[in-house]
Amino acid sequence: MSRFFERYEADAVRFFDEVISKEGIPRPHYNKLLHRFGQFSIDDIKARREIVNIFFRNQGITFTVYGEDEGVERIFPFDLIPRVVPAHEWQTIEKGLVQRIKALNEFLYDIYHTQKILKDKIIPPELILGSQHFRREFVGVNPPLGIYIHITGSDIIRDGAGNYLVLEDNLRTPSGVSYMLQNRQAMKRAFPVLFDKYKIRPIENYPQELLRTLQEISPDSRREPNVVVLTPGIYNSAYFEHSFLARQMGVELTEGKDLVVNDNKVYTRTTRGLERVDVIYRRVDDAFLDPLVFRPDSKLGVAGLVNAYRKGNVTLANAIGTGVADDKVIYSFVPAIIKYYLGEDPILQNVPTWLASNPSDLKYILENLGSLVVKAANESGGYGMLVGPESTIEQQETFAEMIVANPRNYIAQPTISLSRHPSFFNDTDLWGCHIDLRPYVLYGKTVTIVPGGLTRVALKRGSLVVNSSQGGGSKDTWVVDE
Amino acid sequence: MLSRVAESLFWMSRYFERAENTARFLDVNFNLLLDLNKITPIENPNYWIALILVTSDKVRFNNQYNEYTARSVTDYLVFNKDNPNSIISCIGLARENARSIIESISSEMWEQVNNLYHYLQNITPQYVHNDPYSFYKEIKNASHLFQGITDNTFSHNEGWDFIQIAKYLERSDNIARLIDVKYHMLLSEAQSQPEIVEGSEDIIQWMAVLKSCSALEAFRKVYLSKIDPDNILRFLILDRTFPRSINFSVCAAEDALWRISGSSRHRYVNNADRLIGKMEAELSYTAIEDIYAKGLHVYLEDLEQRLVKVGEQVHLTYFAYHTPEIESSDIAEALPFTGIAGGRPNWSQAQQHQQQQ
Repeated sequence: MSRFFERYEADAVRFFDEVISKEGIPRPHYNKLLHRFGQFSIDDIKARREIVNIFFRNQGITFTVYGEDEGVERIFPFDLIPRVVPAHEWQTIEKGLVQRIKALNEFLYDIYHTQKILKDKIIPPELILGSQHFRREFVGVNPPLGIYIHITGSDIIRDGAGNYLVLEDNLRTPSGVSYMLQNRQAMKRAFPVLFDKYKIRPIENYPQELLRTLQEISPDSRREPNVVVLTPGIYNSAYFEHSFLARQMGVELTEGKDLVVNDNKVYTRTTRGLERVDVIYRRVDDAFLDPLVFRPDSKLGVAGLVNAYRKGNVTLANAIGTGVADDKVIYSFVPAIIKYYLGEDPILQNVPTWLASNPSDLKYILENLGSLVVKAANESGGYGMLVGPESTIEQQETFAEMIVANPRNYIAQPTISLSRHPSFFNDTDLWGCHIDLRPYVLYGKTVTIVPGGLTRVALKRGSLVVNSSQGGGSKDTWVVDE
Repeated sequence: MLSRVAESLFWMSRYFERAENTARFLDVNFNLLLDLNKITPIENPNYWIALILVTSDKVRFNNQYNEYTARSVTDYLVFNKDNPNSIISCIGLARENARSIIESISSEMWEQVNNLYHYLQNITPQYVHNDPYSFYKEIKNASHLFQGITDNTFSHNEGWDFIQIAKYLERSDNIARLIDVKYHMLLSEAQSQPEIVEGSEDIIQWMAVLKSCSALEAFRKVYLSKIDPDNILRFLILDRTFPRSINFSVCAAEDALWRISGSSRHRYVNNADRLIGKMEAELSYTAIEDIYAKGLHVYLEDLEQRLVKVGEQVHLTYFAYHTPEIESSDIAEALPFTGIAGGRPNWSQAQQHQQQQ
């Protein structure tokens, strides 16, 4: 075994370690990787680290951290050790995700049409109708092919036994897919030899698949669809990704001010006049899309866009109002949703969840704040979250007050010790860092998932938070055929 | 293409060209002072004032510095972030524009802008002071590399034409400013020290003007060794083949504008085409005597103003988000420029940026 791995302490008893089994031996799908890394000296690693850094810097792969004055941009931290997912495990994930996304889409269609699931009392109506992401004005609107969630990125974790669990369904505008693609490029530059040794499933076709999906949902099949990406602009933390995807697909990247609505049709403003738009892959939240309908102070959106959408003259991906299904409270009902619409048992399980809106759950949550993870139902990116075991008494008291004041807005989950994966803290030592996995699911005429996804890694020692906004990094993810 | 993309290509190119020209002015000044043995201990402030006059932000300079020295002027023109035309500001703005259209330009172009930006972040005033030659050469080469990369990795269609328009409008403007200021300075010196009018110092200064346009060798091939102001002006203003002459640059901008609109010699489609066509025709049929008859300073100032007008019309025709009626005058009010810093056109984006998570 490599000298890096000789010094690596997996702690495989307390945590599920992706590389080292409970018996202390490497899992078979990591053997070749360990062997190769065994031949590297510290200087080799440093040299490769330099290649990767230059690659990321030259590509301008950066993200923005809010609430910090120092430099606007940072390079997204990248770990050199790839994560390996054997094909049979991937197959389960893939099947589970297809099932889950289809059920969630049926749920959205139902919620925005007959609301059968509410009438059948599977979900308490007040949870839906009172959700801030429920868009009552879209009841009865028919998106092309009946699809609401064209691009999603579910967060998947592994528990202590190594089971894959869904932690969150990100049904609005999940980000990170550009890192998935760039991580692969970086690995190919730094470790070309490794790619000879494994049969790694390619992911490079993601942009083409994305474009195909977007073209399939065009409202007008009679002509070549004009697809654009809508970004909030260069100051958005995911701007790099928006421009990257537009470039890879060969479509225009637009800001709100590039679009204009005339007679309920959407156009881009070009040097040659106005050009009709059919599909908008929008990376702008619902609330900012149209100042006439949502936030009147929004400068990111397009006046009249929502009406054009309601008239069926333009398709938005994802549809408006999908947030109602990735609310953390609704999350706890997803197994029931799958059962209700598909008549199947969920292939991928949820993390156990207590709802503060449920009186007996509330009592349990308040009594166990020190051991639970409490999340605000509508926040994302690791904001508005209490990690019980890492919190102070004062923080717990603050959260208790907030929960009691607004129980609908909070859920709690057990502190799951996410699986760990050896990662370089510096270029000399490996540490077990907690990881998750975000595969990207495309839903047009069919459901497509490129193998793997983005593995996020909590590079702060012991930290469980993998979000890039909270100091997380990422690694390349390989689905390998044995 | 999207109007916004065209506009960002335009400003990216324009700021890159401006940074290169500033580097040229500074570089030549250092060399000139070495030639004249004036660099230290007593620096002649006249030579440094000239550079501030070229970029015409004397007031802003005086607000921040007390004296015209190599250090203060270099600091102002290279590093000062409050000066929108300093090299560091220009490259920052070029990069910001590039970043906003990163999907439209080639990744090689982006890498080059980004590289120069990061290079500049690590440069200290001391480094420039110790080795100005290497530093300015680096900037000039970076600009040439960027243009070469652009020519070879970016499709020569509409977007490329906007890059050319910006580059050549900026270049003509810079040459006009440079000649104007040098001429002014030499004239005033000649008046105060009549005995050196014909002296060699004069020649060295005119050679410096040529050098800052990389024009000395090209000039010599045309005029052999006869370095006199008439020939130099003829070359820098009216030559049709040298890429850093005003006439050449105006022709190149005209070609690019006409390619975009489909205008031709006897028919213009919009005001930008009309104005550039008029400039080109006049330059082609102007003799140096005509310029003197008008007065060199008046002539150059007029030229600069007409270049600004062309830029305004490009904006109204292609970038402004409404279709303007074609009108020939009185467009000043419609201009988007929030301020013309030191008389030079500058890019301004709408000020609002809502953050969204």
